[in-house]
Amino acid sequence: MIPESKAFGIDDKVISVRNLKFTYEGGVEALTGVNLDIKRGEYVAIVGGNGSGKTTLAKNVIGLLRPASGTILVKGTSTSEQKIAALARIVGYAFQNPDHQLFCSSVTEEVRFGPLNLGFPELELNAQVEHAMVAMDLLEVKDKPPISLTLSQRRRVSIASVIAMNPQILIFDEPTTGLDMKESEELMAGIGKLNSEGRTIILITHDMKLVARYARRVIVMSEGRVVLDSDPAGVFSDLDALLRSKLVPPPVVRLAYRLSTQGVPRDVLSPEELVLRLMMIRGEGK
Amino acid sequence: MTGFVDFYTEADTFLHRMDPRVKIVAVLLLSLLAFILTNLLYLLVLLAFIMLLVYLSRATFSRTMFALKFVLRLMVLIVVLWPLFDRSGTPVLASLGPISISEPAIWRGIASAVRVGCLASVWYILMFTTSQRDLVRALVKLGLRFDFGLALSISLRFFPTFLATIESITDAQRARGLDLERRGLIKRSRNYVAVLVPAVVSALKTADTLSLALESRAYGARPDRTYLRQIRMRPSDYVAFAGVVAMLAIPAVARFVFLVDI
Repeated sequence: MIPESKAFGIDDKVISVRNLKFTYEGGVEALTGVNLDIKRGEYVAIVGGNGSGKTTLAKNVIGLLRPASGTILVKGTSTSEQKIAALARIVGYAFQNPDHQLFCSSVTEEVRFGPLNLGFPELELNAQVEHAMVAMDLLEVKDKPPISLTLSQRRRVSIASVIAMNPQILIFDEPTTGLDMKESEELMAGIGKLNSEGRTIILITHDMKLVARYARRVIVMSEGRVVLDSDPAGVFSDLDALLRSKLVPPPVVRLAYRLSTQGVPRDVLSPEELVLRLMMIRGEGK
Repeated sequence: MTGFVDFYTEADTFLHRMDPRVKIVAVLLLSLLAFILTNLLYLLVLLAFIMLLVYLSRATFSRTMFALKFVLRLMVLIVVLWPLFDRSGTPVLASLGPISISEPAIWRGIASAVRVGCLASVWYILMFTTSQRDLVRALVKLGLRFDFGLALSISLRFFPTFLATIESITDAQRARGLDLERRGLIKRSRNYVAVLVPAVVSALKTADTLSLALESRAYGARPDRTYLRQIRMRPSDYVAFAGVVAMLAIPAVARFVFLVDI
């Protein structure tokens, strides 16, 4: 689905942020010097307490906010040289609250809005809309008014409306808030599929269980800067830094830590893995 | 952004301590006074008096300037335009075709500008020194139905929230490639539909939740209401009230009873 995938070669950094600072009107210093690189096809989680600068960072990347100083390169081009609409072709941003963008009288219309604004030719537009609706499992409700749908469906419509613009990079801001277990698993499965298509996924979240389960790289933010940047197991092993950033590892990781005296390794990320390790230890004991 | 919605500045001056009812009535009486006075000199004295009160309200300099800039623009506009429409009186200073400018018209223009300056800036005294809560409470005490008072304070309270929602909706739609700077009125207003529909939906949802929250706290269970904080007239309030009444009464009697031109 991504036309330029082959043309894109040597430098595989899709996002490159250097010394990014941003201050809101009124003097709140939201970003105090962010440095990070994200490569093509990565699945990155950005975590941090409320007010740590996650959303501000994302809004800078998509051009809604302009940096006070520092640079952001998206696919090698500085964001300050590009319009928001031009950036939207490359980076899609699914906002936290779906109700802040749904306004059409049918789901299909809603999903078509973005690519229509970007001037996609009719054939490609239809293909992208179809793909987005399938990815977010919306074909059943495609003629219904988005406002009449459940929260989970509304969120999927808002995500589909971003996917339909065919961006290589997708940023999801707290996509599972307010969803039940089943709904959030289905949504995360859909996002996983987008990643296996070769798209870069950036997940902004508080939910450490989500991070342990899906992310392959975790960036921890605190007070407007990146404080940890590693794979999930690496990040969870730095308990002090996590606590300072107002975060706690998921329960299964904490349990594994408690059991480390019993020989359980500290890089366990899922209940299944913990059970497997415990069974191995018991097997050795017998 | 909230600065432009709520002008109130926290401070402890005699104006802040004054009973809000007295303040509302005083502002109305001073406005009336501006209508009674026709003499430029007296109007200037009134304007100076109002400006002194604005100064004493201890609003921040930048906020006062923001407020006065608006008044000043209005005054300049009146001074410039008045003589073009009011063509009575002699001597005529200049005339060009149908347009003639007379000297008395220029003076009348200046006087009207000062009057409008008084009318506009006298409200800043009230706005700078009275919190929205006190204002609504005073209006209810003066006879406004409590429901209307509540509706008024809720709308004042939610106005900044509503602006923030609109901003976030605009962000979301711009990230979907919506260009709000596009030229052409029809195209642009069509683009704003994408912002207005979610904004209205979200306002209705907020109103719905709010009414539930009110009812769950037994709103309207009794027709009369008590208040945690009572506003009460103190001796100084009576003095201030009497002072303002005298300020209006003396020129009014002079003009309408003794027919003195003031």
